[in-house]
Amino acid sequence: MGHIFENAPVKIREELFNAIGLAHSKLGISGDWIFGSDRVKIMAEVRSSQRCRLCSDSKKAISPNSIIGNHDTITDLPSSWIDIIHRVTSDSGRLSKRWFSDSIKRGLSEYEFIEILSVCVQTIAIDVFALGIGAEIPPLPKSQSNKPNRRKTPEAKMGPGWVSTIDPKDADADFLDFYNNENHFYIRRSMTLLPNETRRLWKLLDNLYLDDPRIDELDGIERGISRAQMEFLAARASALLGCFY
Amino acid sequence: MRLRVSGEHTGNSYDLYSVMGEISIDNKLPNYHLLNSFIEALQEKDPNRVSILRKKISHQMGDQALVDISAVIAAFNAFPRMADATGIPLEEEKKKISEKMRAELKIDQLITT
Repeated sequence: MGHIFENAPVKIREELFNAIGLAHSKLGISGDWIFGSDRVKIMAEVRSSQRCRLCSDSKKAISPNSIIGNHDTITDLPSSWIDIIHRVTSDSGRLSKRWFSDSIKRGLSEYEFIEILSVCVQTIAIDVFALGIGAEIPPLPKSQSNKPNRRKTPEAKMGPGWVSTIDPKDADADFLDFYNNENHFYIRRSMTLLPNETRRLWKLLDNLYLDDPRIDELDGIERGISRAQMEFLAARASALLGCFY
Repeated sequence: MRLRVSGEHTGNSYDLYSVMGEISIDNKLPNYHLLNSFIEALQEKDPNRVSILRKKISHQMGDQALVDISAVIAAFNAFPRMADATGIPLEEEKKKISEKMRAELKIDQLITT
């Protein structure tokens, strides 16, 4: 398979083009905890969730918990996974600690949760980008199901949210550079329970947005819009998703 | 918050209410209405409206702007979901410096736990 955007209707700056291509191809390869074939099913489920009746009804309800039912699925993934994929995709602004705890009680590990979340958000980001520039929604990547190593991350501790993360103070030598540039924001830390997965995720996100969001203006950085326009889009997208982090 | 900082840097004052969806006729952000319409269409996954607005953006702002607008919106379809699914709180420093803005926009009233 060539690059998913090789026939894009507009020229994509090189580092972004490469980062998207890499992210898309890695989505089909086994991660730290989940087989490649299941990662591809997660991607398919992200896309199909847009036609899920339960998600649509829940989204309209005052409380998402007031609607009981089953999600419409197109894969054989476990129901606990399906709920995470669908809720993260369709109604992320109303996720709660109770929802997270219930997901874990259904037999899911924190590690699996983070990897599912990573695959979901990368799929969503790539698809939104495609729709934005007028490209076809990319085909699902080929899966390569080598066995995940399922190595735990003993340096991770609970917090600052619901999931264990690596505090910059506890990062080992191999991971310290992830927190370069005083990059200690909780969002950067939020998925570090899986250090390799989080690095792959952030390689994509840094190229879509900015390596170092502390900068005030875009001096020397190649972008077609101003810093203020970027921040308006960032804040408006977050508000539309009901996120006030 | 960064939008306000950017305004301070450039000497412009931006209408922060526009972020919450209030129509702002006097917003000084260049191409504000076009950007706002595009992001709303994209979030609603309305391909026809996205297509019309995409052409306008390419015409008025150029193809590189279209790429970077789409890229930022793509990134901010990931960050909020990561934050909300992992339950990370706002950092204490950010809480302090954004206190006034959060009160103005009534953001804290919208947060559920």
